[in-house]
Amino acid sequence: MRRPPDTRQPLPRGNRRPRGPRPNFATLVRAVRYVGRHRRLAILAYGSLFIATAAQLLVPQLVRVIIDSVIGGVQTQADRASAIQALIAAMLAIVLVAGVRALFAFSQQYNAERISQNVAFDFRNELFARIQRLSFSYLDRNQTGQLMIRATDDVEKVRLFIGQGLVLALQSFVLLIATLLVLWFSNPTLTLVVLPILPLAFAVFTIFGAVAQPMFMAVQVRMSALNTVLQENVAGLKVVRAFGREPEEQIRFAGAADALFTQQLKVARAFSFLFPIAFLIANLGQAAVLYFSGRQIIGGTLTVGEWQKFSLYLAYVFLPMGQLGFIINLMSQASASAQRIFEILDTRSEIENRPGAVELDGISGHVQFEQVTFRYFKGGEPVLSDVTFEVQPGQTVALLGATGSGKTTIINLLPRFYEVSEGRVRVDGHDVRDVTLESLRAQIGIVLQETTLFSGTIRANIAYGRPDAGLDEIVAAARAAAAHDFIMDFPLGYETPVGERGSTLSGGQKQRIAIARALLTSPRILILDDSTSSVDVATEYQIQQALQQLMVGRTAFVIAQRISTVRNADLILVLDKGRIAAQGTHAELLETSEIYADIYSSQLLDDAPAAGVDGHITARTVSVAP
Amino acid sequence: MMLGQRDWVFQQEARKPKAVGETLARFWTYFRGYAHVLLMVGLLVVVSTYLQVAIPNLMGQAVDCFLAPAAQGTVASTSAANCWYTTLPPQSTADDYIRGLGGLVLLIAAMFLASSLLTGLQFFLMTYTGQNVLRRLRNEVFAHIHRLSLGYYSTHEAGDVMSRITNDADTVQQAISFPLISVIQGSLLVVWIGYTMLTESVPLALVALAVTPVMFVATSWLSGRARQAFRQVRRSVGNVNASLQENLSAVREAQAFNREEQNIETFSESNAASRNASIRAVAYTSALQPTLEALGYVAVALVAGVGGAILLTGQSVMGSTVSLGLIVAFIAFTQRFNQPISQISAMWTNVQSAVAGGERIFGFIDLVPDLQDAPDAVEMPPIEGRVVFDRVWAEYEPGQPVLRDVSLTARPGQMVAIVGPTGAGKTTMANLIPRFYDVSAGSVSIDGIDVRAVTARSLRAQIGIVLQDSFLFSDSVMNNIRYGRPGATDEEVVAAARMAHADTFIQRLPDGYQTVLGERGSGLSLGQRQLLAIARAALARPRILILDEATSSVDTRTERLIQKALEELLRGRTSFVIAHRLSTIRHADQVLAIRDGQIVERGTHDELLAARGFYYELYMRQFRRDIDFTAEPVSA
Repeated sequence: MRRPPDTRQPLPRGNRRPRGPRPNFATLVRAVRYVGRHRRLAILAYGSLFIATAAQLLVPQLVRVIIDSVIGGVQTQADRASAIQALIAAMLAIVLVAGVRALFAFSQQYNAERISQNVAFDFRNELFARIQRLSFSYLDRNQTGQLMIRATDDVEKVRLFIGQGLVLALQSFVLLIATLLVLWFSNPTLTLVVLPILPLAFAVFTIFGAVAQPMFMAVQVRMSALNTVLQENVAGLKVVRAFGREPEEQIRFAGAADALFTQQLKVARAFSFLFPIAFLIANLGQAAVLYFSGRQIIGGTLTVGEWQKFSLYLAYVFLPMGQLGFIINLMSQASASAQRIFEILDTRSEIENRPGAVELDGISGHVQFEQVTFRYFKGGEPVLSDVTFEVQPGQTVALLGATGSGKTTIINLLPRFYEVSEGRVRVDGHDVRDVTLESLRAQIGIVLQETTLFSGTIRANIAYGRPDAGLDEIVAAARAAAAHDFIMDFPLGYETPVGERGSTLSGGQKQRIAIARALLTSPRILILDDSTSSVDVATEYQIQQALQQLMVGRTAFVIAQRISTVRNADLILVLDKGRIAAQGTHAELLETSEIYADIYSSQLLDDAPAAGVDGHITARTVSVAP
Repeated sequence: MMLGQRDWVFQQEARKPKAVGETLARFWTYFRGYAHVLLMVGLLVVVSTYLQVAIPNLMGQAVDCFLAPAAQGTVASTSAANCWYTTLPPQSTADDYIRGLGGLVLLIAAMFLASSLLTGLQFFLMTYTGQNVLRRLRNEVFAHIHRLSLGYYSTHEAGDVMSRITNDADTVQQAISFPLISVIQGSLLVVWIGYTMLTESVPLALVALAVTPVMFVATSWLSGRARQAFRQVRRSVGNVNASLQENLSAVREAQAFNREEQNIETFSESNAASRNASIRAVAYTSALQPTLEALGYVAVALVAGVGGAILLTGQSVMGSTVSLGLIVAFIAFTQRFNQPISQISAMWTNVQSAVAGGERIFGFIDLVPDLQDAPDAVEMPPIEGRVVFDRVWAEYEPGQPVLRDVSLTARPGQMVAIVGPTGAGKTTMANLIPRFYDVSAGSVSIDGIDVRAVTARSLRAQIGIVLQDSFLFSDSVMNNIRYGRPGATDEEVVAAARMAHADTFIQRLPDGYQTVLGERGSGLSLGQRQLLAIARAALARPRILILDEATSSVDTRTERLIQKALEELLRGRTSFVIAHRLSTIRHADQVLAIRDGQIVERGTHDELLAARGFYYELYMRQFRRDIDFTAEPVSA
């Protein structure tokens, strides 16, 4: 191959932004607070936990009764019958306690899972709601794949902790404290042997928690990066192949997979230390107690039965130790993920209703741009500079200019998708920042450059902006958008399902549905962003007709490439590098604007010589030439 | 391209019920390279399982050899009979007992230490192996993504393909490290402890094992119900994800139509459905652990009670006697026996879903690409640019030809324009040249070489394509343009951007050429994206250039300037141009007008106009529109 090696880092793209602040357990506490919203379930779960734990603590007691009655029976040789009775009673009691324990253990686990599902539900809803309201500029900077991972994988990690880790931790804690109390009252000396493991366990917990959490954070970040490469390759399949870049993409993916692999190994290495240490603490404690209790038994200050009981309780001290690794694992993962969730939830959209914002209703459609300047960021190169113009109600404004001259930016400022950097945009005299977003946008209908349809029926898609619209209204809108006929050609008519990304419809059909969708909201202001560029002439003609209908009696902003489309506009803005180079009507601009005349001739002169084959048209062409 | 949706679906369905054994055997091929590691893990598992059995045994010995005799002051016959660790002489003092106990405890501690270290080592080795396998699986799936033809993706959801690398690989990963060890170790333990119990005391062992069948029944019933419930969960989670995916990529539409509230409500519904399905499913899984635990307690009670009764009555049952130490040891045995059973039952679900995940991954890797390099494919030599379509037929769905009997010859350096209404087959023609799809009959050849006879990469490397929907990567502008030719210098990139008239707007981006674009270039207008795509293609200096509505959203002035620049660039190279704006293609050497998959007219622009046929109609409609609109005010 003639291609030299890739100079790019095989690191995944889109991972350049500085990482957020270091994770800490405060975010986890904040996540855990969501449990408080499900108080009834929480009481059920944690109440059951206490009862189940108590039942668990009863079992050794009963085992002791058995052993004691056996020993008693063996030693005294006398009262076997009563010993056997005690034995049977103890057995039955164990079975009974086991049943109670099972019931409450189930209630504990089931309700904890219910809480976790509810918390996950809350998180997903909140994330969804937050993302729905993120500003356009935020969306420009972030990939949906990455947001998706947060709403799915990260939520799941937190859910796992709340459903399992939290209960486990709480249970371990209760068990530990209760057991220590029991032990203390039955044999303080032996309990003192056990106590040193508590600070030890605490140290292990703290150290590993602190070490593991950033590690899991890195795992999530690298997982997102891998997903981004994947998503891009699937979405950009054709481009990758067209340029024959499969090997490089493979290398890039392998790089991301390697990065994830390395991080996973790092985590594994840490935990392959943690797990044995946790087990060891538990087990060595057990061995130590065996020795010290053995001394007491041999010395005659302890019976075998008592020791047996003590040793069984001991298991409950060490059990939590053994689970420590697991808890730390869940907890560190969850707190890393909680951090990523709250990053989104805490994102304030730059564009929100001001306090005291008023409702805008029944506008006439008077629009003013006053010395509007727009920059992507403070101190940056302006994308729009000093744009001033005024549109009277019902007028049509056409925006014309080179690609990148700022046409789309101007119309994005009107529904306040972006915020002006300087100057102001007024609708009926109100600064758009002083009215509520909802009421502002309700007055504006938009047909975007790229049509996104949603999975669902054609009917639901047309009704997107007004879900409660009746079928007659929907049909009327479709008729006006020249869409009714082709819709009725489908066997299912308006109930025809639209596939993923509206793939069952042609570009022109999608465009007309988008127009019907905008029309149904009966907006006072209409924005049409170059909505006919991707369709053939016949379709374009139909759409043009539909648009004419749509614009009657409304203030309309039209971005188009062809003079023919903008020719009748009341006001034409000629944009050049973010400035209004000229404004006026067609006739005025032909006189005054060099750029406009140039655009005009670029379209007309091209066609004129060819038209020579038809004398009639030539004559008309000549008659309109400036 | 000849594979319709039905065939794919059928292939997938056919794969589902395949044997678990086959998938496991397939997994083995991945693990084979780590056979030595696995062998070591196996040894470690055996040793640590041995320790797990031996340790409680030794603890029982502490009672039988030291504690019970010392406590009773005499050598109790029953205990001593079960003491094999060491027998102290009858006249031993308390100190002797303590010393003996100390030795035993040290041994136990050492074994605990060894056991812990082994556990850590096993965990690491398994994770190491598992992650390696996982990485290889991911890379293979990814490689296969690019091996399958575009036709595959027109009938399959991208999300489904992606989930093989993320979700399915994840389930495999979750099964590999801990669960696999647990299941193996658990099985060993169960067998071993079962065996030990039987050799120690048949009657007590039978008592202890009596509960086990009940455990199996409970497990299989509960997990069967859980599996059913989880099927529903997967469906509802799928709905949530689909809804998320769709809504996250359409936030702009939602805001434009004030749909936020409504969308939130709708999402909340599917979210709630998923939550409720999950809660139904966890009812079964939550019941599993407590049930098994309770049964475990029942087993302990039985052992303690029955054992105690036997001891008390002093009878020998089935020819064996029972000691207090034996009972204590059996209580421990029973607990140790039941624990792995509940562990296995918990982990087995993981292993099962890993097998299911493996099936899906292998199913994908095994899909035979319908479009592959021929076994004897050669590298495409440097292209001169003679492109010939010889009676080409093409179809996406069997029996529904999109192109019918299309023939054309483009000579090196020619510009060929393809015009016609939407859906006539223009893009299909363009797709055949870089062999994105295969013809169903006829042939496409370049410089006399059939495109199916050369490697796709060497072919495509010489062909530049600019599509209407120009995909950009979420990378810097610089790197996006450089994608066309990775070795290009910054100056060359900037020169290409100038040529495409993209330089002006790039300069005004926040970080100029270093600005990182949003997903698919979001934040740029369609026209801007098209300019970048043109710069990218121009930088690649292709021998053949295909422009499929490449400037449809670019303003006419810029378009003209780009065309002039491209003419310069393409001197001597063949190009294909698809355009609705007929003014763009007036200078083409050949114009092909197609309708319903057939070439209806061919010739130069002037010839076709003179012919007054289909092309003339198309052209006039567009022209008249311009003229009519222009003329109106004058007459007014």
